[in-house]
Amino acid sequence: MSERFDSKWWLLILLVLPVYVFFQLGSWEQRGRLRCEQTVGFLVPSQYSRVLACGYKGLLADFQFLRILTFFGDRSTNQQPVTAQDWDYFRDSIDVITDLDPYFYDPYVLTEGFMTWEAGRYQEANALLAKGAQYRHNDWRLPYFIGFNNFFFLKDYAAGAEYIMVASRLPGSPGYLPTLAARLAYYGGKSQTAVLFLKQMLAENNDDRMKARLQMRLQALENAAQIEEALQQFRNDKKRDISALSDLVTAGYLDNLPEDPYGGEWGVLENGRVFSTSKFVEPKK
Amino acid sequence: MMQRVWALALVTCKEGIRDRSLYGIFLFALFVLGLNIAVAGFFMRDLGKVTVDMNLAALSFAGLLLVFFICINLMAKDIDKKTIHLVLSKPFSRAEYIWGKYFGLLLVVLFAQVIVLLFSCGTVAYVHGMYPNYFAGFHWPVFFIAAFFIYLQQALLCAIVVFFSSITSTSFITLIFSIASYIVGVSLEEVVFYLRTQAASQDVVASLQLQRTLETVSWLVPNFAAFDFKIEAAHGLALEWSRLAMTCGYGISYIIVLLVLASIIFKRREFN
Repeated sequence: MSERFDSKWWLLILLVLPVYVFFQLGSWEQRGRLRCEQTVGFLVPSQYSRVLACGYKGLLADFQFLRILTFFGDRSTNQQPVTAQDWDYFRDSIDVITDLDPYFYDPYVLTEGFMTWEAGRYQEANALLAKGAQYRHNDWRLPYFIGFNNFFFLKDYAAGAEYIMVASRLPGSPGYLPTLAARLAYYGGKSQTAVLFLKQMLAENNDDRMKARLQMRLQALENAAQIEEALQQFRNDKKRDISALSDLVTAGYLDNLPEDPYGGEWGVLENGRVFSTSKFVEPKK
Repeated sequence: MMQRVWALALVTCKEGIRDRSLYGIFLFALFVLGLNIAVAGFFMRDLGKVTVDMNLAALSFAGLLLVFFICINLMAKDIDKKTIHLVLSKPFSRAEYIWGKYFGLLLVVLFAQVIVLLFSCGTVAYVHGMYPNYFAGFHWPVFFIAAFFIYLQQALLCAIVVFFSSITSTSFITLIFSIASYIVGVSLEEVVFYLRTQAASQDVVASLQLQRTLETVSWLVPNFAAFDFKIEAAHGLALEWSRLAMTCGYGISYIIVLLVLASIIFKRREFN
């Protein structure tokens, strides 16, 4: 009796299992289809999600971050175009995640990697990065990203240099940042800002090799600034442009034309900016 | 008096440790810690932060399960099963019973938390070993401070359980009241500060009335968010001594007030 009873149950299991397998596969396939059709994911605004997190804000931020990674991963796997609406969702998600945990670094990296290069939303990316820089105030990477975006994407050299200067003053920043910032400031038409920045960096730096590099760039920028100043003076007085930089010496605005420590030749751009053929890069030895 | 309180605390603790549900809670915590090892690699740079988030969440959630399902049961069992008559026939005052039970609950929670914390340290050390370059902001002392405040939060929750057990007749009502207190306490700060901001005051109709009500509630229900140092631990942020001292003082004073009230109520209570 008992054996018959057991075999009945085994038979039932054998019948039910394939049904379960059928529905299991169907359900997952359906979910996958639905996710592809989904225009954007849902998002709980941060003023609510902070409350709903019930003390697990960090964990909720991690989960939301994984969701956004999966969302864009699905788009990429299925070779679906990322629409403007999707990018809005991305921006809002990063905003919510960084409201939940403003110190979380990964969302800022994702912003820099996607919103600039792929979406072309530089200002929005910079706004999110600026939010991060406000909290991670000792992290040089965030102002560096903003500086890079300004320089590379927005062609705003002055703003770019300003942020890279901020980044270079933060602990752990790479040694090349001060000189990069100074170069950007120079190209941004603010040689004097770059000179001041380098002087401050020199005062704060104890490393001899670093100091020598900074000193050299400072010298180059001071020389460029000196020529620019004389050039401006010449234009104001004579109400005309120079034909060659040596005109400044012959007219008595400069005792002699200062040298570019990097070995380049000075020139004047159409907009009146002084530049050097060395681009303030040390010649290869 | 202390001896009697201590004896009762030990009995309560042993009873709690014998509870089979404790194994379930340990298994849950181990599952979350294992999950941490599995998912840490999904993230890009802040692996240390994610690891600490998951470990402290496991510690905190395991503690909540313990308080809501084991501690409430330990507290209410005597009254539910009428064994309270037997206990009170011993040379115990009712206040000693309340304090003894409370310290017993604290010991159970401490026992469970220490075990989960040990596993948690192992997980953090393991993930740290796997990805040593992504733990720049991690500091063990801040991690342990956060774990201590999770324990203090649960000590406060135990006091709430004891308080509600002293006024209600069934464990289910104690459970509902305790969970409600926790949810209100953990989200209260966000709502109060949200309403305090100028922008919110302009947007929300009758916010002044609501604000006053919530300010009143904030005096009655403990602000559990004050004990939350998980974000600080996740990023290894510096903690001010004044903040730690203030939070400790706030938690301990609230516990004492609640237990004294529970003792007064329990003394006047009649058992059928």
